[in-house]
Amino acid sequence: MIAFSISAGMSGCKSKKKLAREQAAAEYASKVEQAKKDLLSIINDEGGMTLQQKESKLQRVKGMNLNEPEILALIRQAEDVIAAEKEEMRRKWEEENKKKEEATSLSLADYFALVAGASSIESANLKINEALNLFAGPDTPVLIIISQEGDLKDYDRPTTAKKYLEYLKDQKKNLNEIDNIEYDENGKIKLLELIKKDY
Amino acid sequence: MKRLGLILFILAGMAFGYTAQAQTEISPERKRAIDSLAMEKIRDLGKYISIIGNKQTPFSEAKRVIDRTLELFVEDAQMGVSSLYKQEVTYYGIREYLERLMLLNYDKVKIEWFNIQYISDLELQPDGRYVGVITIFQRFEGTSDDGLIYKDVTKKDITVYVERKQTQIGGKLIGFWDVLLGDIRVVETTK
Repeated sequence: MIAFSISAGMSGCKSKKKLAREQAAAEYASKVEQAKKDLLSIINDEGGMTLQQKESKLQRVKGMNLNEPEILALIRQAEDVIAAEKEEMRRKWEEENKKKEEATSLSLADYFALVAGASSIESANLKINEALNLFAGPDTPVLIIISQEGDLKDYDRPTTAKKYLEYLKDQKKNLNEIDNIEYDENGKIKLLELIKKDY
Repeated sequence: MKRLGLILFILAGMAFGYTAQAQTEISPERKRAIDSLAMEKIRDLGKYISIIGNKQTPFSEAKRVIDRTLELFVEDAQMGVSSLYKQEVTYYGIREYLERLMLLNYDKVKIEWFNIQYISDLELQPDGRYVGVITIFQRFEGTSDDGLIYKDVTKKDITVYVERKQTQIGGKLIGFWDVLLGDIRVVETTK
């Protein structure tokens, strides 16, 4: 009787353990399945998810520490997809920035020509005020390159945006070209480098 | 002691020689750029003077241009003023000259500079500056309200100083050539 009871008890314990193992296995399988689904959604996404959503999904999967070859391979693929998307975003940002810079330098060059060629003080002053809106402030530094040999640049005495625009108004000559523009975080010019046209 | 003095003298001479040599190590192209920059400042001055003298220029503009003009000069620079009616030349500080020019008692004033050229090339001096002389001809025409016209042409020599300087802008060290004008001397005044 006692022996039967012990035997029955042991058998119950074994089946509980088995059940627990089976449950754990089922949970793990479900985790793997979910991870696979998440990773495939990142890899096959066609614009439904933001980059941030993809990154957080990938982090969640990585945090599961699933040591399954298939999952590890999918993680690498998802990482490649995200890296490619980041690179594309960076390229687009640079392209847009370049376009913006070109557009600004064109309009700034236009302003220089308009101020130097203004028919009256009033119209020159109007254009000066408009042009100053492109700068971080009227005291934004303006550098004029007078000669360049390799890395060695020789400048004229540094001036400011306002003084340079007034110089164009007074002298009625526009002898410098835009060589380089640096912008601040608000998209305003924080440093302007000009170069003598005849140089 | 005498020997020590002699050694120090020789060392100082060598150091000076090195500085002068370092300063002369400027390529012909860079030198041309400096010559051209100095010439440009003279042309700018000529234009500023014509704006200040012009009776059509509003007072506030003329005052602003006077400030810009003063930035072209070394401190204490003087301007010679002559007339066909007077033998002697009067020298004024630049600000005083410009303010007098603005208030000249004419109805209409026309000033023009021409034949601007170097009569003494920019040469390196022991103090590291380049110094030269540029000559200009100034045609002056003043018309009074009764229609009388005073005209003369004055030849003037302008001393030019060019100095290499450095400044920090946006965290970068910028090397620039500072052109400053000195005295403007009257050479001759003709009709």
